[in-house]
Amino acid sequence: MKYTRKDLGSYKLHLINTDKFKTVMIRVSFRSPIKKEEITIRNILTNMLMHSSKKYNTKRALTIKAQDLYAADLQVSNTRLGNYINTDFYLSILNDKYTEDGNFKDSIEFLSEVIFNPDVCDNKFRDENFDIVKTTCRSALESIKENTSNYSLVKMFELFDDDSPCSYRMMGYLEDLKKINSKNLYEHYLEMIRSSLVDIFVIGQINEEEVLSLIKQNIKLDTIKKQRLPYLLEEKNMRGKVKTGKEQIVGSQSKLAIAFRVNGLSDYERNYPLSLFNVIFGGSSDSKLFKVVREENSLCYTIVSITNKLDNLILVRAGIDNESYDKCVCLIEKCLDDMKKGKFTLRDINMAKEYYNTALEELEESQYKIVNNYYMSELIGTDTIEVKREKMNKVTKEEIIKVAKKVTIDTIFLLEGVKNEGN
Amino acid sequence: MKEIKLNGLDLSTYVETLANGLEAIYIPLKDKKNYFVSYATRYGSETTTFTPVGSDKEIKVPDGIAHFLEHKMFEQEDGVDPFSYYSESGTGANASTSFDNTQYIFYGTKNFEDNLRFLLKYVNEPYYTDENVEKEKGIIAEELKMYEDIPDWKCETKLREALYHIHPRRVDIGGTVDEIMKITKEDLYTCYENFYSPNNMFLLMVGNFDLDSASKIVHEMLDNIENKGKPIVRKICEPNEVYIKNQVIKLDIKVPKIGIGLKIPIENLSEYDDLMLDLYFEMLSTLCFGPSSEFREKVRNKKILNSFYSEWEAIDGFRTLLIFASTNNPDELINEIIGEFKNISIDEDAFSRMKKVWIANEVKMADYVDSIEANIYDDILNYKRIIPNKLDLIRSLNISDMNNILKKIDFSNLAIIKFVGDK
Repeated sequence: MKYTRKDLGSYKLHLINTDKFKTVMIRVSFRSPIKKEEITIRNILTNMLMHSSKKYNTKRALTIKAQDLYAADLQVSNTRLGNYINTDFYLSILNDKYTEDGNFKDSIEFLSEVIFNPDVCDNKFRDENFDIVKTTCRSALESIKENTSNYSLVKMFELFDDDSPCSYRMMGYLEDLKKINSKNLYEHYLEMIRSSLVDIFVIGQINEEEVLSLIKQNIKLDTIKKQRLPYLLEEKNMRGKVKTGKEQIVGSQSKLAIAFRVNGLSDYERNYPLSLFNVIFGGSSDSKLFKVVREENSLCYTIVSITNKLDNLILVRAGIDNESYDKCVCLIEKCLDDMKKGKFTLRDINMAKEYYNTALEELEESQYKIVNNYYMSELIGTDTIEVKREKMNKVTKEEIIKVAKKVTIDTIFLLEGVKNEGN
Repeated sequence: MKEIKLNGLDLSTYVETLANGLEAIYIPLKDKKNYFVSYATRYGSETTTFTPVGSDKEIKVPDGIAHFLEHKMFEQEDGVDPFSYYSESGTGANASTSFDNTQYIFYGTKNFEDNLRFLLKYVNEPYYTDENVEKEKGIIAEELKMYEDIPDWKCETKLREALYHIHPRRVDIGGTVDEIMKITKEDLYTCYENFYSPNNMFLLMVGNFDLDSASKIVHEMLDNIENKGKPIVRKICEPNEVYIKNQVIKLDIKVPKIGIGLKIPIENLSEYDDLMLDLYFEMLSTLCFGPSSEFREKVRNKKILNSFYSEWEAIDGFRTLLIFASTNNPDELINEIIGEFKNISIDEDAFSRMKKVWIANEVKMADYVDSIEANIYDDILNYKRIIPNKLDLIRSLNISDMNNILKKIDFSNLAIIKFVGDK
């Protein structure tokens, strides 16, 4: 695998040459500081771009074109990375070896068409297509309660810190949808193209010269941008007292969502001991939470903890019965307390390290993960895979305890499932 | 051991059948770092009535028992929990139960040989006690409640209840809380003894491992396990017609949904083998309702489609197409779908384009260990063999056979359900 990074002024081009895959994947990433009121419009925008372009002016025409390129797989996603919103376009295509000469070139042109040649006239997106996309988005937003597990997180975050980017709903807001029209959507598009920082990745068995020249021809960006906003969210003070909240919903099961703040982490702690802490605490099926809450006390089927490293946060979620709430919270607190007191073994630490090592090895088998690893390295200067492996293996128990002591329970929310009396 | 090459995919499979009937399939891949292993029995939730081996009396065990048994396989007499065992080498482990099969998996990058040994040991050593069976009931009850709160899951269950008169596919994989409460350790042993016999099982290994060593382990661990024979499972005489044609069901949802099932008896299609029939059926639904179909374009433009999902399922003597959609206008969408069924015509260009897409997707699939595994697993389960010439079979699909099949389908044999909000 050979990695080359080229600064082309208005964007960085990252080429990863490897003969491991029959496909070539291209990722085009736009990122800019996140604003709560722009999440919904960004979602509509990316749906709009995926719906049609000037040349392929219906969803069907666009789909057929992708199919004709030997099932080119085009995806887009909007995610938050700390203080930034990230819009990523992915195109995955078979290497020309397995299709025909020119398919790769046509595919890059197709990607360029989708991103840079939207179906716009009179400075607005075509209304008939805009209305279709908006209707679909509205119905998704109206159905937000259908996924009770996600909904419980949404409500928990409102309680936790409504103003912080970590509580922003990436699926968007119904109230913002009303303000969006085909005209301001186009303005938002122009703004995204003009002001975002852009990185482009191409991974696969590629001819670097050819890719460079195709990308230069097809990626029409000419603005130079700088961003000073850090990726990491600012730390907030610990609460004096744990904040709790409940809401009722029709359902058989209740969803518990808990946020823990982790303040005062060094970069090293954030990348290494914190990851191990999380695997031992609740991030695996051999974790404390899984063993204590599920296996020993039969209180749930799912329980998991995840770290939002850039947000200084750990989240725990579980599906439980209402009556188990007190016991469950108590056991989770006890597990955290045990971590702080160093009540975990060398075996636990080795297990967590092995878990991490496997993830690093598996990373090399996935184009998506390889690219993402380089992307994070570009953004926040994370270590290379080799350095990661080495540093992780050296983490000590004391370092994990030190991180555990920085973890404080902050907000507990229960989405309480109640039977519908009408039925 | 027999080598079977998968034409056009640069993949070789090695197959051997042990004296006790167990089928082992090896796909060693030297250039991969990871592996994926699955040990499966052709036994799932829908077999609850059978005559045990050596008995002449048919018995009925509680619904949901196959899934319960899967959970309890993780209980070991020596106290070594499989999750913990696999964690030590950073290996992932899991299990899942479906209507007609149950599989135990592990996946990772290290310790392949010991991990394989452990899999073959723990799945062959059931350990059920009154106490550990009781303990599991709480966990499974939470799992069932979790599914119960997912509206899309409910829609699927309701549609199967409408399609089938007596076939056990009407019953949810996990059963019901009432039914699982009845399960005893004796029930579990009975099901285990009858359905976890090597002649009813297969083992599939894909990825980074050594063929000879793996085969040696398989023989060492499994040669001594005896073929326990085959219980008698009576053929179910499911009527050809759907059970309930039209229904309106209230759910706790904001945006209405629809479920439509097309039930096709296949007795008059015996000139096609199962695989070819499935390919043609898949082609049928893709051309009629797939992302590049005219139908999708039409309902999208009418703004009566928010999301769409369809799948085929096979039961003895039938193929069924299940269609689900979210819509603001269920009546109109239902009419459009019925209309589409009444006027099916196959477009030649679309037909050849889909063949190209499928072939490309097969080649892409070969990049990833887990996709290869999933693909081969389905073939072994559904067609009981490795299919070396799948690409050629796709190429051989033709319009005249397609039309011949269409002529024999009664497109009015539909179960239609409208799901609406209850407020």
